[in-house]
Order: sequence, then structure tokens, then C-alpha cells
Amino acid sequence: MATSTTSRPKVLRPLGSTAVWLFVAFCLFAFVFMLMSSFKNSSEILNTPWSLPTSLDFGNWGRAWTDSGFGEAAVNTVLLVVTASVVVVGVSAPAAYALSRRTGRLSGGITMLFVIGLGIPLQVIVLPLYSVLAELGLIDSLFGLFLVYVATHLPFTVFLLTGFFRSLPNELEEAAALDGVSATGTFFRIMLPLARGGLVTALLLNAIGLWNETLLGLMFIQSTEKYTLSLALIGFIQQQQYSGADYGALFAGVSITIIPMLLLYLWLGRRITEGLTAGLGK
Amino acid sequence: MALSLESRSASRRDTRRPAGPRPVRGGHSPLARRQRRIFGPFLAIPLMLYLVLFIGPTLYSVYAAFTKWDGINSPTWRGTDNFTALVDDPLFQEAFWNTLLILVVVGLGIFVLAFSFMLLLRDMKGKGFVRGVIFLPHIVSPIVLAIFWGFLLRHDGLLNALIVKLGGEPVAWIGPDSAFLMIMIAMVWISTGFYVAILMAGVDRIPAYFYEDASLAGASAWQKLRHITLPLSWDVISVAAVLWTISSVKVFEFIYAFGASQGTMPPTYEWNAAVFVYGVTFGGQTPQYRFGYACASAVVMLLLVSGMVAILRRAMRRDAVQF
Repeated sequence: MATSTTSRPKVLRPLGSTAVWLFVAFCLFAFVFMLMSSFKNSSEILNTPWSLPTSLDFGNWGRAWTDSGFGEAAVNTVLLVVTASVVVVGVSAPAAYALSRRTGRLSGGITMLFVIGLGIPLQVIVLPLYSVLAELGLIDSLFGLFLVYVATHLPFTVFLLTGFFRSLPNELEEAAALDGVSATGTFFRIMLPLARGGLVTALLLNAIGLWNETLLGLMFIQSTEKYTLSLALIGFIQQQQYSGADYGALFAGVSITIIPMLLLYLWLGRRITEGLTAGLGK
Repeated sequence: MALSLESRSASRRDTRRPAGPRPVRGGHSPLARRQRRIFGPFLAIPLMLYLVLFIGPTLYSVYAAFTKWDGINSPTWRGTDNFTALVDDPLFQEAFWNTLLILVVVGLGIFVLAFSFMLLLRDMKGKGFVRGVIFLPHIVSPIVLAIFWGFLLRHDGLLNALIVKLGGEPVAWIGPDSAFLMIMIAMVWISTGFYVAILMAGVDRIPAYFYEDASLAGASAWQKLRHITLPLSWDVISVAAVLWTISSVKVFEFIYAFGASQGTMPPTYEWNAAVFVYGVTFGGQTPQYRFGYACASAVVMLLLVSGMVAILRRAMRRDAVQF
């Protein structure tokens, strides 16, 4: 494009491009290695890490799925991710709409309160949260974790959706009001369908974040049958120190964790990157 | 609660500011009145959840920082003892220093790499593909990346296998002196793609004719960078800097999983402030449950983040360039 000119030192550009492609190759290698190793046994992974698997044997996957609890963990994770991301978007959307349509001091203050939440590191809230959940009997409970997931993802979702609703023109509501549609009806029947793109993006970004979430699960979940995929992976690594290494099963577990995200990314990649970056560009 | 606060402030504003040339939204139009009515009901649930499970715990954490607390019994006041103990605690000093290293050194590494990649990618073939691939680490669990990183660097790992094949001696990558450096390199690897995407989103909005005009006027590549790209992407760069500050302090999963393969907790030379909080409460074979102490360390980090963000915003403030 227009920026490339002859005056730039000639060596810099090929050198830079090489660096970029090496970086790309390394990223690709990391994922290929993890997926490939799920079809090898421990000694193959260690002794011939760079070679292709000899057969497409799903034995590792079976052991990981049933014996090591990745199957159970996958069910828990899907359940948590689906419910929590739907609920967080569901409760954030009306709030974001209400905030986007008023310019008063109160609405500004509440918007600010949610923005502040974006900057508070989780380690600040986890300990008091632990005693709140203990008080409610919700430690080691998937419902407790669900509540915490919703609460911790509110700031980001409200922030994202407020920006989105702001971009929808005011005239729509005026027209709806003239037609005698109630304010609530306007929101549900007119604004919500128009905001579909933003809602899907919010749903997607929350789902990815929650799928990979670990710290909160580690703090609030104790029994293995309630583990999420991240917790099952950690449990598996730590158990190996005593029970011996089954790296094939480990990488099968890794693959179970990453493949849904990779598929989602292949399918909706542009939407994900744009969603994560668009709100920030302003 | 939200509802009553709302109506109070609304009526106050109404008396103070009689009808003037205000935008329709906040004024007295029937539309504004309709939207005022749904304001409370629409906000009630999320606001309540947020206050109880987020803002409340934050405030309580600040209070608990001044107490001795085990998470079960009620906290007892100890004034600033926790903070003076933190300053003398070599474990916290190490964790704090490591957090700063991630914030500043890794941050600079990411910025330099991401900015150069962005410049290179602007006119490179296959930029969509590159952008897509380097973003990948951002969408998978840090636990998974830590497992891969461990396999890459362990003594019988991928890197040493390659070195031996090429006739070299295996290197101890994960030792007390080098382990944290390896973590820092991993952080750069994981985050660069994300920041490339952010920077490119900003730079892509710069109209191409700026560069064409500059070329006609005989500007060099450096002059274009200096006078077009940099000033017009300054906003995005400053947002990215704030974003990194916030997320660098949250780094936990990668370090925990990378180090925890050798024991129940990572060795202390790998701790950062977030791992410290876990380490002095739930972590390890014999958990210490020092909630008050951990809250104090978390509050210190909160102050660090707020301070850094304030400084960054002040230092990077420029007059917005409209284009």
C-alpha cells in the first residue's frame, strides 16, 4: 500500500516480515503440537515430539473423557458457560439500554460505577466473595459459581452494550412513541432486535471468557465432580506427580478444552476480534 | 433503591434547570419521561447483583485489609499492621517486583512487537491470515498455554530435543534464575496478537489519502509514521496502555499452572501479586487462610493500578485529532 517507499532501509522490511512469519509459525506449531500429541503415548511425545502420530488412536481421548473426568468437566463447563453468558447478556441489555438513553447525573454515575469494575482486579474481590458465598451455603456449588460469573462479567457486558445502544438513533423511539408503543414494548420489540449484532458479540465474548475462566473456579469449587475443564486440567497435572505421567491423556484433555474455542474462532473469528477491539478504538 | 434515588435526582435537576435548549434526551419531552419510567426496573437486577457481588466485596476488601481475618470468624481490627508486615515480607517483595516486571518490561515488549507488526502488516500479503493466527493464544485457556510452555522448556522438552538434534547441549530453561524470564516471554507471546488487533483496528480508520498526499509531497516513510500514523493512532495506543496495565495485574492462571506442575504451588520466585493472594490463603499443602493480609496485598495492587492508570491518562493526553 501507500506506506511502502524506497527510502526505508531495504534490509528492515524482509527482516521484519521474516520475524512476523516466524511468530505465525510458532503459534501454529503450538496448536498443531497439542492436537497431535493427543494421539500419541507418553514416550512418543517425549522422544519424538516433532513427528506425526503413527495412528489416529482415540484411546487417549477415551481415557481422558471417562477416567480423568474431562467428560464430566465438559458437561459442567458447557452448562455454566451457556447459562451464565445468556443471563449476563439478558440482564445487561435492558440496563445498558436504560443507561444509553439518559444523560443525567445519576445515569452517568451508574455508568461510571460499571466502568470502574473493569479496572478492579479479581483478586481484590475473591476473598470477601468467598465469605459471602459461604454465608449463603454456595461454596462448592455450580449455582454459586454461576452467580459469581454473572456478577463479574456485568461491567464488561454493560460497557460493551451501552456503547452499542448509543449508536442506535433516537428517532426510532420517537416514532414508536407516536405510534403508541409503550417504553417497554419499544425496547423489546424494536431496540432489542436492532441490537442483535451487539448482543451476539457480547454473548460470544462472554462465552469465550467464561470457557477459559480458572481463578474463580479454583477458589469456589472443591469436589472433582463439579470441576470445569480448566480445573480438570490443573487437577490432572497435579495428580500426575503421584500417579505417573500419561501425557497422551493430558493432551487429549487439552484438545477437549481448546477445540470448541478453535471451531468458534474459525466460524466467527472476525466478529470476535472486532468485538474485542471495536469498543476500544473510540 | 435505584428508583427512589433516580426520582430524587431527576426532580432536583428539574427545579434547577428550567426548560432551556437542552438535547431532547434529558429534557421534559414525553419521550424522556417514558424512558425515565423504565430506568429503575431495567437497572434493578443487574445493579443489585453488581453491588452485592462486586462493589460490596471490593469495599469489604479495603476494610478487611486493616484487620486480622481468616474468612470464617469475624475480622478483628489491627490498623495498618498488615501493610507494615507486607513491606517487610520478602515473599511479597518478590511478588510485587515480579508484578512490576510484567507490567513494565512485558508491556514494553508487547508494545514494541505489536507496533512493529502493525506497521509491517499494513502492506503485507496475507495480513488477515497473520492477524487471525497470532490472535489465537488469546482465545484459549492460559492453563493450556502453560502446559504447552512447560513441554517446550522442560529438560526433556521440545526445545532441548531440537538443540540436541542439532548437536548442542540441553539447557536448563526452568531454573530459579530463568523461570520468570520464560514466563515473561510467554506473556509477550500470548498477548501480542491481541494488541496487534487493537492497534490495527485504530490504524485502519486512517484514510489512505493522507498517505497518498504525504507521498506526493515527498514525505519519507519515517515522516509518515511520525506525522500521520502516530498522532492519529495515539488514542488507541493510550487505551491499549491502560488495558495492559489492568490486565497485567490480573495475570494468575498462566503462572499458577506453569509452576504448579512441580508442586501444589509455583516456587516463590515465580509468584506475582495475584498468586500471592492465593498463596497466603488457599494455596499449598497447608493453607494459611490469612484473608486480612491477602486483602491488604490486593489493596496495594488496586492502588498501583489506579495510580498507573491515572499517570498514563495524564501523560498520554493529547488534543484529539479529528479525521
